[in-house]
Amino acid sequence: MALFSIARRLKKIVGKDAVLSDRADLMLYEYDGGVQRALPQAVAFPTTTEQVSRIVRLCAKEKVPIVPRGAGTGLSGGALARTGGVILGFSRMNRILEVDVANQRAVVQPGLVNWELSQAMAKHGLYFAPDPSSQKACTIGGNVAENSGGPHTLAYGVTVNHVTGLEVVLADGRVVNFGGKSAETLGYDLTGFFVGSEGTLGIATAITVKLTRLPEAVATLLAIFDSVDAAAQTVVALTAAGITPAALELLDGWTLRTVEEAVHAGYPLDAGAVLLIELEGMREAVDGQKAAVVAVCDRLARETRVAKDEAERQRLWAGRKNAFGAIGRVSPSYYTQDGVIPRTRIPDTLRRIAEIAAQQRLTIGNVFHAGDGNLHPLILFDARDHDQLERTRVAGRQILEYCLSVGGSITGEHGVGMEKSEILPLMFAASDLDVMQRLHDAFNPNALLNPQKIFPMARSCRETDAARHPAAGLDS
Amino acid sequence: MSAAAADTSVFSELAAIVGEAHLIEDVPTLLRYDIQGTQPAIRVSPGSAEEVAAVLRKAAERRLAVAIAGGFTQQQVGDPPERAEFLLDTSRLSALIHYDPGDLTFGVGAGATLASVAAQLTQHHQFLPLDVAFAERATIGGLLATNASAPLRHGYGSLRDFCIGIHFVTGDGVVGKGGGRVVKNVAGFDLMKLMIGSFGTLAVITGASFKVFPGPRQTATYVARFASLTEAAAFRDRIVRSALTPIRLEIISPRATEYIVPHGDPRDPDHYHPPAPVPAHETAWRLALTASGSDAVLARYRRELGDARELTGREEDEFWSGLRDFHANVATRHRNAMLMQLNLPPAGLAHALAGAEHAAVEQNCLCATLGRAGAGSLLVALIPLSVDPPSAMQYANAASAIRAALPHDGSAYVLQCPIEAKEHFDVWGSTPTDRSMMLAVKRAMDAGDILNRGRFLV
Repeated sequence: MALFSIARRLKKIVGKDAVLSDRADLMLYEYDGGVQRALPQAVAFPTTTEQVSRIVRLCAKEKVPIVPRGAGTGLSGGALARTGGVILGFSRMNRILEVDVANQRAVVQPGLVNWELSQAMAKHGLYFAPDPSSQKACTIGGNVAENSGGPHTLAYGVTVNHVTGLEVVLADGRVVNFGGKSAETLGYDLTGFFVGSEGTLGIATAITVKLTRLPEAVATLLAIFDSVDAAAQTVVALTAAGITPAALELLDGWTLRTVEEAVHAGYPLDAGAVLLIELEGMREAVDGQKAAVVAVCDRLARETRVAKDEAERQRLWAGRKNAFGAIGRVSPSYYTQDGVIPRTRIPDTLRRIAEIAAQQRLTIGNVFHAGDGNLHPLILFDARDHDQLERTRVAGRQILEYCLSVGGSITGEHGVGMEKSEILPLMFAASDLDVMQRLHDAFNPNALLNPQKIFPMARSCRETDAARHPAAGLDS
Repeated sequence: MSAAAADTSVFSELAAIVGEAHLIEDVPTLLRYDIQGTQPAIRVSPGSAEEVAAVLRKAAERRLAVAIAGGFTQQQVGDPPERAEFLLDTSRLSALIHYDPGDLTFGVGAGATLASVAAQLTQHHQFLPLDVAFAERATIGGLLATNASAPLRHGYGSLRDFCIGIHFVTGDGVVGKGGGRVVKNVAGFDLMKLMIGSFGTLAVITGASFKVFPGPRQTATYVARFASLTEAAAFRDRIVRSALTPIRLEIISPRATEYIVPHGDPRDPDHYHPPAPVPAHETAWRLALTASGSDAVLARYRRELGDARELTGREEDEFWSGLRDFHANVATRHRNAMLMQLNLPPAGLAHALAGAEHAAVEQNCLCATLGRAGAGSLLVALIPLSVDPPSAMQYANAASAIRAALPHDGSAYVLQCPIEAKEHFDVWGSTPTDRSMMLAVKRAMDAGDILNRGRFLV
């Protein structure tokens, strides 16, 4: 259909100043935090659920794909208009609709920035626990779509553990509610199922989140090791000692030097690796754990420092949270992997990554959530060099294959998106994917909501057989 | 008896799948597997997910209904099955899938009992934080299907939080899985969430993986008493807002005390007909919380909780095992009792419990209540007094009065009540979310509607 007319009709719904259709404007929406690109045909910025519903109805009628997007900080291409169509930008739906302190819940719009929610809740002694590294920019709606994690997932879990209810616009434009403020509601847990579905099941327009009480005490430690292997073994030893820190992050020597030069976090330049460890809870519990952590780290660490004050604590974290930006200073491009392995396999996995780096003649830095085995190898490359790009792709895949071979996963927090849709079959058998596809088709029968994400192209591109499945076309 | 049992070809076809030794069609034996008045015609015990799939394909072909059974501890929940030609028993699906103590992850077949899982984990001082009743019989599959709730969820979260992978077979016999065996994983759809609490209506769960936890080194339980529900609720708010991080936080009504002590009061309203509600021995509302940690941590609790009674060691264990058996103690002593599961936003606790107490008086019942004061998951027992026999209207009216006292987003379903009464009211209550999407999910997973037919709300 004529693009001109879809943009014009979008303007009728959301207003003239809330639609982009010039190529120059659209180019700002052709990429996210990752490496892939896809140009949308229009971008609309709704302000109400009703507008979202009208846009979805319009797109359904005209068979135009529709892709919801928060801040675009995703790394797997989830918010890209892979097959063109309309991007639904949520930057104008960014309000906190309700704060229910007694029940430790808030109802927010999807475009609200993660960090702003926690800031606003601090006066009640509460915060929103999921803290992706991009939390100062990323939106709650994006967190819900990708089931995002962050350093503190180790103790508090990913986004799904903190969402109890959703208002959702379905593929036909109907507005429905899943869950609510109760921890559990009657019927199937559609809230839990929806979180992490990467925008393929519907569009969340209001989100009920669980808030967490701010801890009484926090301690941040930096353990410094001569080798990455010693740091990796210490992660295993901490788990074996029954210690669950709130966060447990590892930076290898190459990464910490690169970060230190940019951020000045106070990391020693000659170390082989550091572990950044955070403990939270009751004062007495943190004191006890601090002693236990120091005892375990000191077996292999050169030194274990405890941050003296909040300023030092923030500085140590600045290194971790800005690591990806720092890498950007030294390499034209980098590719962030997001594999997961069982914690006990960290030492051999890091050895395997070093082998792959040597084999492919690439630099691979490691900065990751060691406590839950969620790796983020950063593969440095120059996108202008075709051969390098190819070797980068091979290295990325080899790392993920190794993760799977030791019982891990291909993504811990970034999602499958368009980046990993072709390798999802390495993790799930055809019959597993069949079941997921059926559920997809029950919600999104014409595949117009965020098409060609999660599932391999061969499945996504097939003529949808939803019409033939008994789940199709159901009404209440 | 249904037509299926008479049909010898079904028997021989099933025998070809699972072996004759794993089939039972003997009527007297099958009477023991009665589900709310419905007797299955054949009990079939598959030994693998592939066998489950083959059995379900047979059932789907012939449009036979399949009831799913683990330890038979929750078969009283929900509506009576419409039919149940096959009883699919999961007891042979109990093999260990993986246990990596260093990674704190554990995977096992759906038929494994909670006690057998606990025995394996305890060798490494680890545990699954599910302190539910009937651990010797309750199976992993059944606990997931019914979304079992336990006091430890206050500190460790619910099954929704620590089940990390699931294996299942759909109603048309497709073997599937979701998640995996690592603690952080967002690849593909989260099928664990769909299966947990689906009461066996979407698929047959054949196995699951969990995050497990290091066993607490030292615990103590503190029991505080209050003259009124209002005071107890205020104390609950104080705890929730404090720096304390208990691993359990339970509220116990005065009457509930009778059902959590090992040798309770012998009075039994089923046999003892007082002219008016008998006063409970215990008149206090109580809050019980368990602290876990070092001496310094426990000392802090002692300091902050003032005159709460401290229980440790055997006394503590007995207290919690009594509380765990509350449901069973009520059900054994009062065959006419109605038990309801309430889920609500936690600040609505006092209002909901006052509503239940009031409904009980109105309907000439005794009311005993306990549950997760922090998470808003409560058990309410209504025990009819002296009217003979209790009328269906009593249950129906009590259930609707209890539902009316719930805050917005709250729900209450019947865990147990006399089968005859179930015909007269809705045991599940209205669904607060979108029914049409639930129906679509059901059709996508079990298009023939053969799994636990008629049991759950969709």
